[in-house]
Amino acid sequence: MMSNTIFMHPATYFILGAILMPFANRLKLQKVLLLAVPLLAFYQIHHLPASFGVCHFLGFELHFGRVDKLTYVFLHVFTLMALIGSIYGLHVKESGQHMAAFLYVAGSLGTTLCGDYLTLFIFWELMAFASVFLVWYRRRKRSIEAGYRYLLVHTTGGLILLAGIFLRYQNIHDLTFTRILAEGATTADYLIMIGFMLNAAVPPIHAWLPDAYPEATVTGAVYMCAFTTKTAVYVLARGFPGFTALAILGAIMTVYGVAYAVIENDARRILAYHIVSQVGYMVCGVGIGTAMAVNGACAHAYAHILYKALLFMGVGAVLEATGKTKLNELGGLYKYMPWSLVFTVIGGIAISGFPLTSGFISKSMIIAAAGADHRIFIMLMLSLAAVGTFLSVGIKLPYFVWFGPNEGVKEAKEVGWNMQLGMFIAAFMCIFLGFYPEYLYRMLPYPVTWHPYTMHHLSETFQLLGFTGLGFYLMVKKLKPEPKMNLDLDWFYRKGARVFMWVASKPVGAANDWVGEVYRTVGYRFTMAVARAMSWFDWEGIDWVLDGSAKGVVKGGDQLRTFQTGKLQHYIGGAAVALFIVLIIVVLL
Amino acid sequence: MMAQLFGYLRERSVVLKWVFFAYLAAAVVFDFFVERHHTHFWGDHIIGFWTIFAFFGCLGMIVVFKGLSHVWLMKGEDYYDE
Repeated sequence: MMSNTIFMHPATYFILGAILMPFANRLKLQKVLLLAVPLLAFYQIHHLPASFGVCHFLGFELHFGRVDKLTYVFLHVFTLMALIGSIYGLHVKESGQHMAAFLYVAGSLGTTLCGDYLTLFIFWELMAFASVFLVWYRRRKRSIEAGYRYLLVHTTGGLILLAGIFLRYQNIHDLTFTRILAEGATTADYLIMIGFMLNAAVPPIHAWLPDAYPEATVTGAVYMCAFTTKTAVYVLARGFPGFTALAILGAIMTVYGVAYAVIENDARRILAYHIVSQVGYMVCGVGIGTAMAVNGACAHAYAHILYKALLFMGVGAVLEATGKTKLNELGGLYKYMPWSLVFTVIGGIAISGFPLTSGFISKSMIIAAAGADHRIFIMLMLSLAAVGTFLSVGIKLPYFVWFGPNEGVKEAKEVGWNMQLGMFIAAFMCIFLGFYPEYLYRMLPYPVTWHPYTMHHLSETFQLLGFTGLGFYLMVKKLKPEPKMNLDLDWFYRKGARVFMWVASKPVGAANDWVGEVYRTVGYRFTMAVARAMSWFDWEGIDWVLDGSAKGVVKGGDQLRTFQTGKLQHYIGGAAVALFIVLIIVVLL
Repeated sequence: MMAQLFGYLRERSVVLKWVFFAYLAAAVVFDFFVERHHTHFWGDHIIGFWTIFAFFGCLGMIVVFKGLSHVWLMKGEDYYDE
C-alpha cells in the first residue's frame, strides 16, 4: 500500500494516536493528541475516494477502503462519537485507557471501511481485544472477571465468523464483502450472520453486553456503548438486509431489553439492557430490508449512538461524583448535580422519541417502515418497546437517581468541565437533529421520502408518552428499586463454568495422572500422526488455511513436550480444540 | 440556579400534577381532530387507540416483568460470587 493511501484511512490516525499516547503523556501533550486525532479523522472522512487501499497478500485481495453512503453515515457518527468520548475522558491521565479506546475506534472504523471479509475479521478482532481493556482498567475483581467472560464470548463469536468466512471462500472462492441475498444463503452465510449477530447482542447471544458494560470504567462505557453493537448493525445492513429472521429477532430484542431495563437496579445495567432494546430496532429495520427500513436503521444508529452515549455520560458523571450506580442507593441528586440531570433527561427524552429530539425522527422511521411493509405484529412490538423505553430510561432512571423517595446521597459535586462539555455536545446533537432532521436524512443510503412531523404521528406520540407517564405515576411504588440482580442467559456459562471446573478438578484431576503416564509413552507418536494428518489436509487443497502450521506441528513436536509439564498446555489445548472445530466445519461442510 | 429551579418546581408538585392531567386530556382531544391518511394499520383509525395501547401496555409490562423478576429471575447481588 502506498503511504498516501495509508494516511487516507481514518483508522491510521487512531492507531498512530494510540502508539504515540504514552509519549504524548510524558510530554504533557496527551490532551492535544486526544482532541487532534478525532478532529483529523472527522475531517478526513469527508475526503475519501470511493475505493482505496487495495493490496495483495498471500494471493488475497485485501480491500481497506470502500466508501459509499452506507459507509459514510456510520463513519460520520463514529468519528463524531470518538471526539465526544475523547472530550469526556480528557481528565483521565492514564494513557493506557486512551490507547485502548483509540484502538477500539480504529477497529470499528476499519470494519466499517473494509471491502473484504479478511480485512473485516482483522479489525473485528482488534475491536474485541481493545475494548476488553476498557473493562479491565476499572481494576475491580468483578471487572476483571467480566472482562474475561466478554473476551471468551467474543472469541467464540469471532471463531464462528471465521468458520463462515472460510466456508464461504471454499464455496465461491471470493471474499468480497457484499450483500448476500436471503434466497440463496448457505450455511457459510448464516455462520457469518451469527458472528455479526453476537456483536449486535441479539438474544440468545446477548448476555455479554449487560454483563460487561456496567463493569467498564466511567469513560470506557461511553465508548463501548457506541461502537461494538453499531458496527455490527453496519455489517448486518451491508451484508444481510431483508433476512426475515433478523426482523423477528430484532422485534423480540426490543421488548427483551426493555423488560430487563424495567426490573434492573443498577443504572448502568439498565442502560446496557436498553442498548439491546435499541439495537433491536436497527436489527429489525435491517431485517425488513426495504429502503425506508434500512434508512431507519442507519438513522436510528446515528441518533442512538449520541443519546445512549449521553445517558452513559450522565450516569457516569454520577458514578464519578458519588461512586454509586445502584438506584436504591441514589436519589435527591438534583440539588448537587443539576446540569448532569438536565443533560441526562435530554438523553432520556431523546431515546423515548419526544418531538423535537433525535429519537422522534429516527425510531418512527423504522416503526413506519414495519407498518408500510404490513408487518403489523412487529410494528406493535416496536411500539410497545417504545412505551417501555420511556418508562424505564425516560422516567424511572432519572427519577430514582435525581429525585426519588429516598435521598441516598447527602453530598456530591458536579463533575469537571470536560465531562460536562462532552454531555453538552451530545445533548446539543440530540436536539439539533430533532429540529433539523434533514441534516441526518441527507446522509442516509437511500433518498428519504418520510416526514416525521405529521399531525397523525405527533398525536400518536403525545398519547404514547403521556399515558406511559400516567402508568408510571400510578405504579411508582411497584417500581421501587431493590438491591438485587436478575438472572439472564449468561447463567449457562457462569454456572456452567463451575460445573466444568468441578469436573476438571475432581474426576479429571484423578484421571490426569494416569493419562499423563500413558501420554508420555504414546503421546509423542500421536502428535506425529496428527501432524501428518494435518499436513495431508494442508497439501490437499486448503493450503492457505493451514499454510505452514502443519510443518510447524512436526517441528514443534519436541518443543510441545516441554510445554506439557506447565500450565501452558491447557491454553494450547484450548486453542487446538477451537482450531479443530473450525477445521471440522471447513472440511466436512 | 438550576438546583433552585428544580427545588421550586418540586415544592409545587400538586400544580405539576394538574398540568400533567390537563396535558393528558389535551392529547386525547387532539386525536379527535387529526387527519388519518396513509395509514397501514387498523388501530390508526380508532380515536384514542394509542392512549389505550400505552396505558395498558405500560401497566401490563410493569406487572408481567416485575412479576417474572420476583417469582423467578431475581437473585441476590452476590449470586455468582457464592
